[in-house]
Amino acid sequence: MQRFAAAAHDPLGYAKAWKERTGRKVIGSFPMNFPGELAHAADTLPMILQESEDPITLGHGLLFPFYCGYTRSMVDQAVRGDFGVLDAIMFGDHCVQLLGAADAIRMQLPDTRVIFFQLISSMCDPWTQGRSEESFSKLKAELEDFTGAPVADAALHASIRLFNRNRGLIRRLYQMRKTGAAPLGSVEMQHVVKSSMVMDKAEHTQLLEALIEQVENAPAAAARTVRLHLSGHFCQAPKPEVLTMIEECGVTVVGDDLYHGFRYISTDVPEEGDPIQGLARWYLDRNTGVPCPTRVQNNVDWDAYLLNAIREERAQGMIVLMAKFCEPHMYYYPEVKEAFEKAGVPHLLIETEHESMALESLKTRVETFVEVVKHRQAA
Amino acid sequence: MNIAFRPFEEKKANKLDSTRIAGKLVNDYWEMVWRAKDEGKLVCWYEGSAINPFLEAADICWVHGEAYSAMLAARHQEGTAQRVAEERGYLRELCSYARTHLGCAVSNQRLRGDNAGAAPDEDDLTWKLPAPDMIISAYAYCSTGQQWDEMTSRVFGKKVPIFNVSIPWIWGAKPDAGYLRGEEWEETSDYVARQLRDMVKFIEERTGKPYPWDRLYALMADIRRASELRLEAMELCTAQPAPASFFDWVVSIAPINNLPVPGVKQYFETVLEEVKQRVRDGEGTVPDEKYRLFFDGIMNWNKVGWLANKFARWDAAVVAGRYTHMAFWQEPGLIDPNDPVRGMAQNYLICPNNHAAPILIELIMGLCRKFKVDGMVIHASRTCRAFTNPQFMIAEAAHKRLGIPTSMFEGDVTDESFYKDELLNSRVEAMLEAIEARRMVAA
Repeated sequence: MQRFAAAAHDPLGYAKAWKERTGRKVIGSFPMNFPGELAHAADTLPMILQESEDPITLGHGLLFPFYCGYTRSMVDQAVRGDFGVLDAIMFGDHCVQLLGAADAIRMQLPDTRVIFFQLISSMCDPWTQGRSEESFSKLKAELEDFTGAPVADAALHASIRLFNRNRGLIRRLYQMRKTGAAPLGSVEMQHVVKSSMVMDKAEHTQLLEALIEQVENAPAAAARTVRLHLSGHFCQAPKPEVLTMIEECGVTVVGDDLYHGFRYISTDVPEEGDPIQGLARWYLDRNTGVPCPTRVQNNVDWDAYLLNAIREERAQGMIVLMAKFCEPHMYYYPEVKEAFEKAGVPHLLIETEHESMALESLKTRVETFVEVVKHRQAA
Repeated sequence: MNIAFRPFEEKKANKLDSTRIAGKLVNDYWEMVWRAKDEGKLVCWYEGSAINPFLEAADICWVHGEAYSAMLAARHQEGTAQRVAEERGYLRELCSYARTHLGCAVSNQRLRGDNAGAAPDEDDLTWKLPAPDMIISAYAYCSTGQQWDEMTSRVFGKKVPIFNVSIPWIWGAKPDAGYLRGEEWEETSDYVARQLRDMVKFIEERTGKPYPWDRLYALMADIRRASELRLEAMELCTAQPAPASFFDWVVSIAPINNLPVPGVKQYFETVLEEVKQRVRDGEGTVPDEKYRLFFDGIMNWNKVGWLANKFARWDAAVVAGRYTHMAFWQEPGLIDPNDPVRGMAQNYLICPNNHAAPILIELIMGLCRKFKVDGMVIHASRTCRAFTNPQFMIAEAAHKRLGIPTSMFEGDVTDESFYKDELLNSRVEAMLEAIEARRMVAA
């Protein structure tokens, strides 16, 4: 767990050490739909760029303060020269704030290759699969041009199998968490997932196997009083101190759909057939598996997914963690709110910020919410 | 004289008389929209790209979301819609165009839809929009557009068929990339054109009739001409004093962007004639033009007249802007009236944000040079990140490439509460001081 925590705490430091050790290239990517398998098959280290814990300084000169913490932190890290370890940066999603960050980063890092492959965000059009294949093919061609070597299908299939194995193991931890068999708190789960976004996948998988063996032999987690689901927080990880504060209020987190959580590992890539078609299939399947408000798909409902997840997890309520200024989340939240109110499932909205938050005041709100949940249960 | 302490004289913007016609056209259009259901018309809601000719040709009533929100803000009647949206849970930092329009959708559903019960107030424009029979989403650059349309569909219980046209961003990284050129430009043009043709099939399914292509061709011939007239009139504002301002072109957005095509060509003929006459007479858009400014950013719709008069009092002619001069059928030459679809797709692709910053900045610098501006005023609109994304880079380019000062102020598209009047005053006055100081040094 310490190695997971170390990589999660200092992703760029991990990448630097890996690069010095292997002499290979590091490719940073924006969340949330980058197929790391492709970059891995191209013999590089794919890592999803993480929001820094540092306050925004120079980045204020490039993006306004009314942008989400993730985009501001990305630009800030670029301006400060923190991305020196990266040989290339890739992004493919078209959230308007990410586009602003991408433009600013390209202007700031003229010597770093910044690659854009635009993924279609309308998920149920007749051409969505085809257009996704085109985008992933373009990305593959860009990677091949960048590394100077072709990416063989066999290598890509091998990377897909490795990534699937890694996701499957983390899903096992999630299953054990649901049943109470895994004594892992939310911060530890975040370390596991976040480090998977950063670390060499084979190394991470090996450590994960050891962790699962350790967890399987450990005594069951001590049951706290209220079982809750954590929802939201897409591109960036919720701050560990927020997660700790929630659990200190007498909460057991039994499931989540955080990007630095179940959303990241929810779906596998088909291991057979054309790998590009497989990656496109994965892209579509992820949104039917765990719907994301950054996509539009009229025949899939995030609110219904959440209510179903809560039933499966036997959760008694949900805390929504919304990164301030996250537009997709702001759009969808009223749907979730209405669905939960209609279903009589309590939920609490917490807006989080990159800058320090008034944790004590948040704690009072969470404690009150926990009491509300308890009263509902008793009634 | 220190302009910061110069007493404000009661100068006013010398608005184009012909823009009054735009006001009437806008009113007539919305009256038509409000009557649409009574007249048995199908209604389509859409945002962003000007797909209205496709709908107008098929005799479908079109409702442009931003236009409705802007109209409410311009009439200072946006408050109810924004309050209704907030009550449903839409947070204040969300695009205020969308928030206002979604407030109308929620209000419509509550008063006339599945949850009907309350009696609508006849004077409240919030509820008056006819509910959509279809939604078409065709939004360039800003992810918010597609999500807004999706949420609108959900407000109406997902009972309204929706069609999505995906318009890619022009990243422009290849060596051949540039404005209206390169492989990426051609490929994205084809991609959007293919989707527009599928959109027409969607329209045919809704109307149950074959699509009247001839009517579209005729409408696009008129739009092409109207666009040429508009651009010609704008071009004449290189004259000193400038005969019309950015604010006149703001008022002229609705005619070129979303009003019924018949009447639009004539409107711009009238505008062009008036601009020509002013050039002949040496009549300026501000009484005493001393400064020429570029306006970067979207409009603050609650403040159009207010800002026009404010800049007039500063003797500052705002001669061009990104919002007005880089959008709205901006490239009429691309439209072939006998086969307009690809050219329409290309015009949708060149909304004022849909090119990556290097291309965008080059275009803006070109406009600043052409209109011989002394400075740039930048509207940092709180909830419109599509416009604010490149603004620091634009400001830097203005300083470094053109050597002109810039001034940023905070506001918003339709949420007046974000507008900071004193910030605007002090910052623009400081910029004008800087311009004066440079002139003195140069002299």
